[in-house]
Amino acid sequence: MTNYLQLSNITKTYGHFTALDDVSLSVDKGEFVTFLGPSGSGKTTTLMIIAGFEKASGGKVEIGGRSISGLAPHERNIGIVFQNYALFPHKTAVENVYFPLQMRGVSRSQGLRQAEDMLFLVGLKGFGHRHPKELSGGQQQRVALARALVFEPSLLLLDEPLGALDKNLREQMQIEIKRIQRSLGVTTIFVTHDQSEAMSMSDRIVVFEKGRIEQVAPPLDIYHRPQTSFVAAFIGESNLIPAIITSGAGKTAENPTLGAFQYAGEDALADGQKVTLLIRPEHIKLSRSPIEGRKNVRMIVETIVNYGDNALVIGRAGDIPMRVRVLGADVVIIKEGEECWISWAPDAVFVITK
Amino acid sequence: MNTFMRWAGFVVVLFIAAPLVIVVPMSFSNASSLQFPPPGYWFGYYRAYFTNTDWLIPTWNSILIATATTILTMALVVPATFALVRHKFRGKGFADLMMLMPMAVPHIVMAVGYYSYFGDLGLVHSHLGVILAHTCLSVPIAFLVLSANLKGFDRNLERAALSLGASPAKTFLHVTLPILRPGLVISSLFAFIQSFDETVVAIFISGRDAETLPRKMFDSIRQEADPVIAVISTLLFFVVLIGIAAPYFASALRSRAPKPSRPAGAH
Repeated sequence: MTNYLQLSNITKTYGHFTALDDVSLSVDKGEFVTFLGPSGSGKTTTLMIIAGFEKASGGKVEIGGRSISGLAPHERNIGIVFQNYALFPHKTAVENVYFPLQMRGVSRSQGLRQAEDMLFLVGLKGFGHRHPKELSGGQQQRVALARALVFEPSLLLLDEPLGALDKNLREQMQIEIKRIQRSLGVTTIFVTHDQSEAMSMSDRIVVFEKGRIEQVAPPLDIYHRPQTSFVAAFIGESNLIPAIITSGAGKTAENPTLGAFQYAGEDALADGQKVTLLIRPEHIKLSRSPIEGRKNVRMIVETIVNYGDNALVIGRAGDIPMRVRVLGADVVIIKEGEECWISWAPDAVFVITK
Repeated sequence: MNTFMRWAGFVVVLFIAAPLVIVVPMSFSNASSLQFPPPGYWFGYYRAYFTNTDWLIPTWNSILIATATTILTMALVVPATFALVRHKFRGKGFADLMMLMPMAVPHIVMAVGYYSYFGDLGLVHSHLGVILAHTCLSVPIAFLVLSANLKGFDRNLERAALSLGASPAKTFLHVTLPILRPGLVISSLFAFIQSFDETVVAIFISGRDAETLPRKMFDSIRQEADPVIAVISTLLFFVVLIGIAAPYFASALRSRAPKPSRPAGAH
């Protein structure tokens, strides 16, 4: 059951430019894996190589232990939902969904019935006779999903499928896609540059940067235990403080401006090693006076961004920019331009060695 | 200023459109040569057109040549457009230029060229000669129309079809071709009209045997100013008018057809 989809040492070069550099990944059957990264990081190229639209310069792709690298796209049995849906404009919704069955030699009457059933599953009962241009963005999205699933593909690929939808609809579709994916148990690769989508939908997230995989982990691990400073900066808001380990045994590090730090977790770090300390803004407390038992630092408040139920306080501790997330009521005690104390507990400090 | 501009526009349109419309009353004229306004009206010249083989044979020649030109043009232009729009290769810029060249070179220059070149090959005064020359003139027009269509074609549609299990051939047949159909129809129509319309090359190389309608009209107006010309012009005018208006009427009828009501609940 494990290692259903296996990417081994995939490389892709265009002339002198390396788009993918030794990408390896294994995905379990039924798993929902998200490729997350900025544009140009290689996530879409990897997807296109799995689909067969791009040819890898090296490495191989296997599904269920069988190499598919030599197969043409139409022989791979992989369902894809494109960002612009790519519905056939000259066919109705139900004909679109019937198309893959038609290509597999299913009779029209039976195929159309199966297509209707699939439209029902995605919540589009009664819309089958409409042409794509008579459907809303969200409805087109559902038709595209039904079309990519109706032939029971061995793999479902979603290429930024929610990018064109507005915020409310996007959240609704996140839940829908997740529900449909679970009910069919189809192994899914989801490509996005939106971290909240990745966080809310995935079993595991693969973070891409500059053609390499930075980290593969479940969403909360990616958030709380990023392995590189790129991942820490890319996922969520973060305070990254350069420091040097002063005592690996005593779990203390030092930054020239902020002084000595206690940190938690990570051990076996050598004295003198250069590291980056991650403190999430929501783990920092803002107060008028220092709080005992925590690391306290003076900060000058520069900007307060109010979100109603919470606020982001942006300031400077010495020469280090700091971001603090506070609940609405706490903001009242501080104004822009004032000085205050910020503090955190040792277990809020996470050490990144890369 | 606004009123002045509107009147100026109206006058310009009138000036441009008048010759198009003036042939219509002239075709019903009973004058013995082209004359406006007509002294009286009858259908005599319509009868003359539809019964005289001197007019019907060139008409038939024109239809034959234009049809063959259209088929040959599309057989060349469809693969050429796909190659030039979708692929990068050495010499692509030169190939693009060559495709459009016949449009830039004056027809009279091409006509002289064909006259001497086809003369050596024995293609002057033959249907085949006119078809080949007309194809050369139609190719750039059909290419321009079709390449504009193909550039706007979303290639994800083909990728989607492939991912859904359609072979490249079936993808072309079930997805590419139906979606490009309007572009194909319009570029064939332009190729047909170009050939049906073409006079200069036809005068040089069509001769007696492959005489086309525009050539016959030109000869006629020089020699006798036969009002049958007005009849033909009127007929062509309305054929083209119907051809252009038909799609609009069709789409207007379709959009007036009642739409099924929207079921509630789904998004």
